[in-house]
This record gives sequence, structure tokens and C-alpha cells, in this order.
Amino acid sequence: MKSAKKILLLTIIFSFLCLLSLPQAMAGRAAFDVHKMSDMSDFDPNNPDIYTGKDAIRIGLLQIFSGAGAGNGEIFWLTCNWIAHDINKRGGILVDGKKKKVVFIKGDTKGKPADCKKAAERLILKDKCQFLWGTSGSHLTNIISQVAKKYKVIHQNSLACSDYLMDAKNFSRYTFQTFTRNSIFGQGGAYYYAKRNKEKKFYILCQDYSFGHSLADEFKIGLKKYFPEAQIVGEDYHPLFAKDFAPYVTKIKASGAEVIFSGDWLPDGGNLLKTCRDMGVDLPILNIFVDEPNALHAVGVEKTKGLVNMNHYMADLRTPERQKFFKVWDNLWRTKWKKPYNTWLYKVCGGTIAECVYSTYWLMSVIERAGSTDPEKIIKVWEGDEYEHPFGVWKMRADDHTNVRDLFISEYVPPEEQKASMTIPPYYWFKGISSIGKIITIPSKYCTPTLDPALKGRASK
Amino acid sequence: MRSKLYLWILWAAILVILILFPHVVGIYYTNVVVLFSIFSLYAITLNLLLGYTGLLSFGHALFFGGGAYATAIALTHIPGLPLIPAVLIGGLTAVVLALITSPLLVRVSGTAFAMLTLAFGQLMYVICLKFRNITGGEDGVGGFPIPPFTIPGVVSIDMTNPTNYYYFALIVVGLSILVIWFFTKTPFGQIIIGVRDNAQRVSYMGFKVPHTKALVFIISGGFAGIAGACYALLQNLVSTDGVLVIYMSFLPIMMAFIGGIGSFFGPICGAAILTILDELITMYTERVELVTGLVFILVVMFVPAGFTGLLASIKEKLFIKSSDQGIMEQAS
Repeated sequence: MKSAKKILLLTIIFSFLCLLSLPQAMAGRAAFDVHKMSDMSDFDPNNPDIYTGKDAIRIGLLQIFSGAGAGNGEIFWLTCNWIAHDINKRGGILVDGKKKKVVFIKGDTKGKPADCKKAAERLILKDKCQFLWGTSGSHLTNIISQVAKKYKVIHQNSLACSDYLMDAKNFSRYTFQTFTRNSIFGQGGAYYYAKRNKEKKFYILCQDYSFGHSLADEFKIGLKKYFPEAQIVGEDYHPLFAKDFAPYVTKIKASGAEVIFSGDWLPDGGNLLKTCRDMGVDLPILNIFVDEPNALHAVGVEKTKGLVNMNHYMADLRTPERQKFFKVWDNLWRTKWKKPYNTWLYKVCGGTIAECVYSTYWLMSVIERAGSTDPEKIIKVWEGDEYEHPFGVWKMRADDHTNVRDLFISEYVPPEEQKASMTIPPYYWFKGISSIGKIITIPSKYCTPTLDPALKGRASK
Repeated sequence: MRSKLYLWILWAAILVILILFPHVVGIYYTNVVVLFSIFSLYAITLNLLLGYTGLLSFGHALFFGGGAYATAIALTHIPGLPLIPAVLIGGLTAVVLALITSPLLVRVSGTAFAMLTLAFGQLMYVICLKFRNITGGEDGVGGFPIPPFTIPGVVSIDMTNPTNYYYFALIVVGLSILVIWFFTKTPFGQIIIGVRDNAQRVSYMGFKVPHTKALVFIISGGFAGIAGACYALLQNLVSTDGVLVIYMSFLPIMMAFIGGIGSFFGPICGAAILTILDELITMYTERVELVTGLVFILVVMFVPAGFTGLLASIKEKLFIKSSDQGIMEQAS
């Protein structure tokens, strides 16, 4: 009898504990749900509906809005306002017991360190932003990270890849790197060519600043790890926003390279491709950002064939969720958006554009779950967090606030072969250029971002 | 006597406003004032060449940037370097740069001088861009430690605090401007005006024009270096695009012209006008340089004497008018 009572008591305690953990188990991981997305038919990026009330969640959007790289600012002004439009139509985000609207405020970095710092401080001190978002350029992102640390504001590194940003020296617990890191690209690209085992001679041409050098280093590390028989036949670094690529292409021509490896982003990536093809260099370019459709249209189908693009986001349209998002975006692009948002660049929400859309939704989800804009509460939720989106799962590594994720690679193919990934009518992404064909996923275990040993176990301390 | 009293009251009022300013307006505008004061000093050093000696430099960023880089690199590599020596390193580096370039520069004037300074400025820009192991290349030098202001055994003030740095920068800039002002009031200061107006005549009087020019160049460069050092400490970041880009050479020229090159305090007015304009324009557009450029053109075309010149002419007109009226009333 006594033992029966004991067993009963234990059963009750066990059942009670199970009930306690039930909500957690039911909640699962946070996810982007396309079915919950607002009706976006009235979204106009040329005239975004910007909330002007005072009681809002204010996010400073740091980007290049003037000068040579202004096209970058144009892109992310659209993606961020897309999110704000959607969230605000849903009523906002519940923080501190009140639903608050989201507003993005521009900060022009001009692509220059001094202006970037000034803009970041202005957003925090004058515009009272609770979050900073951005930016293109690791050197600029490092500045934003330091400013965010100084004023204790959460910073989403949504666009810079350099690994050093999250090493022990530069790490800031206020910064979360959602963007793909160079070590992912470096290792992933090397792994891809090792498996392919055809081309062995690589020429590295990157931008002459921290990102370019860091990417090249990571690629060399990746080759050493996965493809030791590969050979670097040349290495060059050109100034950011270079005017003339001819001298570099001449050297590439003479080097006997079989593949050009480049991390060049807008507008350098497009200019490099055009110069290569104009000078008769038809080598494949293993790239990250030479996927800008306007630049690709300038050279056409034949000359974009064989480009090898590594990307944060690449997905076929086999699931209903992906199809729904694609159709909403595509419909707006075709029927509503005006210049510059009706150009080829904005036709498909893919690549870096999609990456930024979903990573910003992740930030929104974190704020929602934290129920606050308090940095400490945000850090608590985001560290170790997992987020599901239409093309996979991201994990925010707690020790160094780095997004651990898969990498996607595709060799560009002519329109008639694009049905390998574009699985709904008209079965091609773009008619006038070569684009994504078969998508190869490099699992994160083959391209895990490097963790600085000094940061190992930091979060659990 | 009464006007002197008014002047003292005015200075006292300015001092009180400056002391209270950071406690009233907050960090953002405190930093704006620090930046304004640094650019005031920078513009004054350029005006020492342009307004006083008649030498138009298109490469003054060489000294400003040189000073900024020297301070940043010194603070990065010399652990425990105190604050004042860090600032002085910036100034001294600029002096060395002036010493190196002056043998060539003082022998020319006019367009040749302008072009040579431009060339030296650009040379420095490219050097800093290319030697990325030392200067950080396009990334620049950032995140270096900002030492506290320390008097051993007496006080240690944290300079990462914007309010504390505001007072420090204001004192350094104020003292530098005061030294330059005294310099212009010395007999040597009068000689450099003579060089501007008629170099040949000064030479006939027995003064060595190239040596005079070299000295002005070194003093101007040195203080521009100090301004650069203060800028590096404020921003905690030095980059080619921030301190050595050609715009940074044109900026003090614009400030001096807009404020008025005929007056010692003109460049300060110019710096104030451009700072205020920058703040206002940024509220509406990212094209700040477009508007400031337009203002510069308008000033050059319609108010060549600048803001202080305009004030002086208004004052003169009013004064003459009122004294004329007084005479007429007395006569009637």
C-alpha cells in the first residue's frame, strides 16, 4: 500500500512536470509564416507608408544613400519598409504591454567611415533609435558595432561578412550577425570546387579593404582544408568602387586561371563581369554578389553562363509557402512598382534581398518574443535562438552572436535550363540572362563559421 | 571704456554658455560643437596661409590627416600613452610633414603652390590607402584606446565621456587659437601680411621671404595637426575618406571664404555656418555637399568678403548713415 502511494505520488509529479513543459514544446521554434503576412497589395516602395507617431519601435537603417554605392541604400530601403508595412498592418509588435508600430529611419553612411559613425550616432542620439540595422561594408559595420556598444543599443549586422567583426577583439554583445560570414563562403566555395574536382587554378580578385582581404583568406583556408591540390595563380585587390578593371583583367588573362574568385559587391561586381567579358575573358567567376540582374542583363545570356554564385538565399519554388511569397512580390513588381523598383534587380525576392527580408523578420520575431526593446531582454532571447524561414533554419550561436546556416551554390544556366529551380510557369527566372539552375546546398557542418577560441563558452559564463 | 566693458561681458556670457552647453543640450549637440570647434581651428590654420600670407593650399588635409593618423597609430601601438603627448604627437607629425614639404613649396606661389600642395595631399592619401598594415587602408584605424586626462596624483578624467571630452577639446582648441592670434599680432605676423601684399618689397626690406613662408607653413601645419589629433580622439576612428580625402582640403577653404578670409575670426563664422547648414540639410536630404557647394558659389559671387565682411559693411553703412544724420541735425 505504502509503495503504491509512492508510485502514485511520483506519477502525479511527473505528469505535472510534463504539463509545465507542454507550452514550450508546443511553441517550437520561431518561424516566418507567409500565411500570416498582411495584404501587401498597397505597398509602394516609392512612397512607403512611414509611421510618424512618437511611440514606435525605431530602427536606424544605415546604408549608402548617396554617391557611388547609393544603389545599395535603395535596395534596403525597400526591404525594410516591406517589413514595416507588413508588421504595422498587423497592428505592430506588442512591447511593454502595448502594440507599437515599426519605423525605419535612414542614416546615410556614404560608404565612408567618418560619415558612417556620424550617421550612427545621429540615429541613436538625435532620432532616438532603439536598434541599428546594417550595413554594406565590414569596415563600416565595425564602426556601427562600436557605436552600438558605446550607447548600449542592439545592432543587427545584416549585411557585412567579415569574420573579424565577431572575433574576441571586436565582439560586442549588442551586435548580432545575421549575414553569412566569410568563413562560410570561403569554406563552402572551396568544398564545392573540391567535390566538382575539375578546375584547379584560381585567381583571387577582391576589394581592397577588410572584407576583401578576409574573404580571400577564408577561401585560401577552405582550399587548404578541402582542396589541397588547388592552386592560387594570382591575387589582387582593387579599390572600392573602382573605375577601371582592365589592368586586373589583363593580369588574370596572363595567369592561366580557370576560375576567378571575387567577393565584389555593387557596383564593382557588375563592372568586373562586364570588363572581363568585353576583354574576352569568359572564365567562370565564383562570386557572392555578381547576381545583380541589371548588370547581368548588360552582358546577356551567353556571357553570364557559367557564373558560379554562392548565396545566402537560393530556393526553388516547390513549396506552397515559397510560391505564395514569390507571387505576392512578383505581382507588385509587375503591376505597381515604379522606377527604380520596377527594374530587373527587384523582379525576384532572392539572394541578398531575400536574406535581408527574412533576417529582419527574425529581428521582429525576437522583439516580439522579448516583449520589449530593452537590449538585455533582446540579447537573452536572441542568443542561441533558432528561426525557421522558407528555405531553412538559422541558428544564432550564443558564444559569438553568429548565424550558423547552410550555403547555397548554383552554376548559372540559360533560361531554358532554369526550370531546375524555377518550378512554376514560365519556368525561368529571367529570359535575358543566365541565372540559377540546379541549387546545391552546402550543409553548415562543411562551412561552419569560425569561432574565436577566446569566445568559446562565453554565453554560459 | 564702456565698449571694453561690453566686450568683457560678452566674453563672460560666451564662457558661461559654453560651460553649461553639454548639460542643457545632450550628447549629440555636444559632439556637434566639438566638431565645430575642431574645424574652426583647422580653418584658422588654413586662413593663416590664405588670408594672411596669400598662399592658397589645396592640400591642407595633409597636415590635418597626418596629425589624426599619427595620434591614432600612436595610441594603438604605445600602451599607456597619455592624452597630451598623444595630441602633441599629432601636432609634431604635421610639423615634420611641413618641414619635409616646405623646401619645395616656399619657392613657388600662386597656382604652382596650389597644385603642389594638392599633389602632396593626394600623395599622403594614396600612401595611407596602400600601407594597410600600418594605416588600415580603406578601413582606417579605429577603436584605439582613448587615454584619460591625468595629472599624476591629482586627477584622472575619463575622456570617453563626451562631456569631459567637450571641455578638453574646447580648451585645446581655444588655447591653439589664442596662440595663433597672438602670433598674428607680433611684428612677424605683420611681415607675413607684407609677404601677401608685396613679397618683393618685403625682400628688399631685408626679410627672407622663403624662410618667412616656411615658418608660417610649419606653424599652420602644426596646429592643423593638433586639430586632426583632436578629431581622431573625438571620432575614435581615422580613415583616408574621413581625414585625407580631397574634400577635407576644400572644407577649410570653404569655411574661410564663407566666414571671410579678411578677418581672423572669419573662419570660425564659416565653420559655424557650415556646421549649422549641415545639421539643417541632413534633416531633408542626403545631398549635403550639393547645398553647401551652392552656398559657397553664392558667397564667392555676391559676398566675396564673406560673412564677417558683410557684417562689417552693414555696420559701416549704419554707422556712416547715423553719423551723417547727426551732422545734418547739428547743422540744421
